[in-house]
Amino acid sequence: MVEITRSYEIEVETIDSDHRRLVKIINEITQALDDKREAECARLVPEFVTLSKQHFAREEALLAKNGYPGVEKHREHHAALDGKMDTMLALAERVVESTAARDALRKELIFFLMDDVINEDMDFKSFLMDAASRKGNSTDG
Amino acid sequence: METSAIQGLHMVGVYHSYGSTPVLNNISLTVPAGELVCLLGPSGCGKTTLLRVAAGLERLQAGSVTIDETVVAEANLQLPPEDRRIGFMFQDYALFPHLSVLENVMFGLFRRDKAAAHTRAMDVLGQVGMARFADQHPHMLSGGQQQRVALARALAPEPRLVLLDEPFSGLDTDMRGRIREETLSVLKQTNVATLMVTHDPEEAMFMADRIKVLGENGRILQAGRPADIYYRPASEYVARLFGPMNMIDAVVTQGKLASSFGIMAAKRAAEGQVVRVLIRPEGLILSNGAGAEGGTPVDVLSAHLLGDSSMVRIQVREGANRGEEFQVRIAGAFDLTEKGQIWAHVDPRHVFQYPQD
Repeated sequence: MVEITRSYEIEVETIDSDHRRLVKIINEITQALDDKREAECARLVPEFVTLSKQHFAREEALLAKNGYPGVEKHREHHAALDGKMDTMLALAERVVESTAARDALRKELIFFLMDDVINEDMDFKSFLMDAASRKGNSTDG
Repeated sequence: METSAIQGLHMVGVYHSYGSTPVLNNISLTVPAGELVCLLGPSGCGKTTLLRVAAGLERLQAGSVTIDETVVAEANLQLPPEDRRIGFMFQDYALFPHLSVLENVMFGLFRRDKAAAHTRAMDVLGQVGMARFADQHPHMLSGGQQQRVALARALAPEPRLVLLDEPFSGLDTDMRGRIREETLSVLKQTNVATLMVTHDPEEAMFMADRIKVLGENGRILQAGRPADIYYRPASEYVARLFGPMNMIDAVVTQGKLASSFGIMAAKRAAEGQVVRVLIRPEGLILSNGAGAEGGTPVDVLSAHLLGDSSMVRIQVREGANRGEEFQVRIAGAFDLTEKGQIWAHVDPRHVFQYPQD
């Protein structure tokens, strides 16, 4: 089971809630792989990719709204993840027939979640916290 | 999100500076158990500092370090290295010269009784193929054998995390390939999280499940599978880490970039913007005819055989880059006596565009 600790919270509910949903679906995928329910896994991976893209769009809008100076760079980072998401979709189509594809998919999902989504988002955590304290309220919305 | 973490190493929001010089700038990374992550970057970019912060050899200045489910460093906590369950393998092996191979490996097992420590040390020496050298001293061993002993010593206490600092740089080319393959195999069998630093891109590509490129600004510039980093470098800096590059600066005109090697669609650039096009030497292909892909006629200026490949210097005869010189890497030897016009065309997999500010 993938569970992420408090130190990985961005402390912006919109984003943390997205991260929790991504973690949940990764756990469903890995459980499906463990239980050899490959068809379920093949259904869930596109869902994970869709959810990731929705998260990226929400996050970019939030960063733009709060005037984050690195928003364009972060948008480029999201755009550069298309190849990795294509890889995950391709692996999901092969999980029935290939042990290597199952192993690679597990690995890709974890690294994608931790490095490309959550760890990258830590970059703007302090900016949003400062923005929230300047405004005296939440940066959400 | 209050509960236990993914097993392995988690570094979150790590900053580090020496005096007023920042070395690590908001680094967050995860190394899951069973995976090997390479930090790749040039000398002085802070990669060894990051390793030392993870090990507890440098005091954490900001952020947090968690190994498995234990926070080992954060604002008001600094567990000493010996309490972090880390195996550390240095560039120079750092074996104790006055101790035998067995005693070197048993050194880190001081918390076990002697019989248990002996059994564990012999087991792990067996795992790296060094059990029969147990009574010898380090000076009696080759570099590769010393490296195996160092790996055994790092793994003997059953660490949760192994840190490797340029572990193969002291070995000659032939030995290096063999030892790194063996090391990878042993690490994978133990299912331990491993963080390795290297400045050698080939080594990183061979060893890593995931590469993180550390820039001179102390930030992670790109993270990905070796293939992601090699075929989709996010910046000119990352692209150039993997060896020499041919460079063309072109202006976007009607959404396209013109060069002697043909017209290509501009990516992520505005009309009129200058785009730096980088082409790997292996991304230029030489032939005796223009071929279906088009290309440009070139003069061959020199060719140097490097072993299984050759580096050929060419000069373009026509078009936007007329007179410019480029490097081409070809398999095998280049036959300078071959007659007929030589043409060059590009393999788009090795062409990268970076819009200039």
